[in-house]
Amino acid sequence: MKIQNDAGKRQPLKRIASPPAKVTIRKLPTGVRGLDDILGGGVPEFSFNIIAGTPGCGKTTMAHQIVFANATVEKPALFFTVLGEPALKMLRYQQQYSFFDESKLGNAIRFINLADVVMEKDLNAVFDEITKQVAAINPGIVVVDSFRTVVRKTTAGVSEMEMQSFIQRLAQFLTSWEATTFLVGEYDPAEIRDNPVFTIADGLFWLSQKAERNSIVRKLQIVKVRGQNSVPGLHTIRISEGGLQAFSRTLAFVPQNKKPARRQRLSMGIPELDKMMGGGVLEGDSLLVAGPSGTGKTALATQFIAAGLRNGEPGIIAIFEERPKGYTDRADSFGLNLKTPQEKGKLEILYLRPLDLSVDETMQEILDAVERIGAKRLVIDSLVSLEMALAPGFREDFRESLYRMIVALTAAGVTILSTVEVEDTFTGFSFSHYTISFLTDDIIRLRYVEIDGQLRKVMVVIKMRGGNHSKDIREYVITSKGVVVIHPRSTDYDGLTTGIPRQTGPRKAQKVESGPEPKARK
Amino acid sequence: MRDFAERLIAYETKGNKSSGTKTAVVFLVGEKLRLHLTALMGNVGFRALFSRALALANAEVPWLHTVHVKADGSLGGLDELGAQVASEKIAEGSVVLFAQLLGLLVAFIGGSLTQRLVREMWPKIPLNDLDFGNGDKNENPK
Repeated sequence: MKIQNDAGKRQPLKRIASPPAKVTIRKLPTGVRGLDDILGGGVPEFSFNIIAGTPGCGKTTMAHQIVFANATVEKPALFFTVLGEPALKMLRYQQQYSFFDESKLGNAIRFINLADVVMEKDLNAVFDEITKQVAAINPGIVVVDSFRTVVRKTTAGVSEMEMQSFIQRLAQFLTSWEATTFLVGEYDPAEIRDNPVFTIADGLFWLSQKAERNSIVRKLQIVKVRGQNSVPGLHTIRISEGGLQAFSRTLAFVPQNKKPARRQRLSMGIPELDKMMGGGVLEGDSLLVAGPSGTGKTALATQFIAAGLRNGEPGIIAIFEERPKGYTDRADSFGLNLKTPQEKGKLEILYLRPLDLSVDETMQEILDAVERIGAKRLVIDSLVSLEMALAPGFREDFRESLYRMIVALTAAGVTILSTVEVEDTFTGFSFSHYTISFLTDDIIRLRYVEIDGQLRKVMVVIKMRGGNHSKDIREYVITSKGVVVIHPRSTDYDGLTTGIPRQTGPRKAQKVESGPEPKARK
Repeated sequence: MRDFAERLIAYETKGNKSSGTKTAVVFLVGEKLRLHLTALMGNVGFRALFSRALALANAEVPWLHTVHVKADGSLGGLDELGAQVASEKIAEGSVVLFAQLLGLLVAFIGGSLTQRLVREMWPKIPLNDLDFGNGDKNENPK
C-alpha cells in the first residue's frame, strides 16, 4: 500500500506496529454510596467475589444493593438463597430500603431457593443446580447467600481438595458464563489464610462491627480486588433507610474548583481584624480561632460567614451543640441576617449531633453540603463539640480525619474557620489542646486579661502562613455589632499573654462603666 | 383476601373442567402456588407457611381437619374429602384456606409483592381492584 506525498512521488507507507490493546475491564456500580470510589471505580465485571463478615454487618443488604443496581430484564440477577435468612423474611426486611425496586422482582431479579438441594444432596448436586439455573436464565449477577451454609452442610466428609475443586469449578463456570458473582458468608478473619474460597476469589469485601462503649461501629475493608487499585484500610459504613453507605478513609471528594493560583484576601467582617491580618484571611486558608468560653469565637465566626455572604460567597456553618435556630437568633442580635441567605440556598447550617457519628460520616456531610451549594466559606463551630459528637472509637481518628477534610476542602479553594475552646491558664498561652495548629494556616488567639480591675478581652494573630501580619495584642469588645476591636495596642502593660499583665506605663483615670457590655441583647 | 382467593379458584376451575376430580381441581390453586413459592422459599419454607394457613383455616372450616400438608408441600387427604363433604362446601373451604395463605404472604411481604408473585402465576387475572391492606395481621381479613 502506498500513499501520495506532496511532491507527487509514491512513497512506501510506513507500518507502525502498535502494541495489542489490553483488555478493558468494565466496572459495575455497587449501588452502595461511597463503595465504588473505595473499590477504585466499581466491581470488576465477571469477577468472583466474597462478601464476608460477622452477623449483622450488612452483608445481605450490600448484596441486594449490588443486585438492584445492576439487574435488568436483559441481564438479570440470580439470587440463590440457602439456609440463612428465609426468603420471605429477607423480602420483608429488604423492601424497607429505598433501593428496593419491586418492579425488578420476577423479571430482572430472580430468587431461587437452594436449601432443599443443600439439605438433601452433595456438592455435585449443588453445582448442577446452580449451573442449570445459570444456563437457563443467563444472569449478569449471581449471588449465593449464604455460601458458608452450602459449604458447611455439603462438606461433611469431603476432603479439602474436593472442596477446592468445587469452588474452582463454580468460579470457572460462572466467569465463563459472564456472570459477576458474590458469595455471601459469615466468616471469621482467622479463616482467610486456610479457606480455599479466599484464595480463588478475585474480590474480598470484609464487613465487621464492634461495640465502642455504647456505640456500634461498622467497618468495611476491601481485603483484595484483583486488577484495580482499591483504597486500603478500614472504612466506616452505616446502614440507614438507603441501605449501606460507605465512607472512604480518604473522603472521596472531587472538588469542582481548584484553589486559585492567585488567592485574594477575604474580609473577616471586622475591619480592624482585617488590618491585623494584612488585609484579611487568604482564600483557601484554614484559620483556627482559639479562646476560652465567652470570648466571642462564635460571634467572630458568624461575622466571617456574613462577610462572605455580603460578597456573594456561599457558606456552611457546621454546629454540633447549639441548634440552628439559636445560632441564627444570635446572629440577628448582631444585626446579621442568616435566615434570608438560608432561604436562598446560599447558606446551610448543619446541625450534626448523633453521638455515634463517625468522623468520616461527619466529614462527608460537610463535604456534601459544600458541594451542594458551592460553598466558599466553612465554619466548624467547634472542634471540641465535633469531637464530642463522635463515637468514642472514632475519637482516636479525629485529627487524621480532620486533616484529610481540611486538605480536601482548602485544596478546592474553600476557606475554613474552625473554633476551638482552650482553657486559659495564667501561666501559659496554648492554642489548642488538640495540637492541631499544624493543620491550620492561620491562628487567632482570644483571651481574657485582668486590667485595671476588669476582665477584658484581647486578641492576637499568632500565625499567618500566607504573609505578614500584625504582632499587636489588641483589646476588643463584643457589642450589638459583634466583635469590635477597640484600642490600638497598649504599651502601658507587659505580660498580657499571661492574663495578668504588669502595668509599665502611667496610670490613667478610669471611666466608671454603668452597665455590662451589650453582648447579644435581643 | 377471600375475593382474591375466589378469583384464583374460579379461574382454575373454569380452565380445568375436564381434568381430575372436582376436589382436586378446586385445590389446584394450592398446587400452582406450591410450585412457584417453593422456588422462592424452598420446600421447608412453603410447607411451614401452608401448614400455618391450614391451621388458621381449620378454625373456620372444621372438616379441613381431614386434610394435611405432605412433606413436599402438597395437600394430602383430598380423595377422602370428596366422599365426605359436598362439593360446594369444599369450594368454600378452599377459599378460606387460600385466603389464609395469601393473607400470610401479605403479612410477611406486603400486598404489593404478593400481588406481583400472584401475577407471575396468573398474569391474566385482573387484581388491580383488590385491596390487600398493608400486611397488618390485626386487620380483619376481607
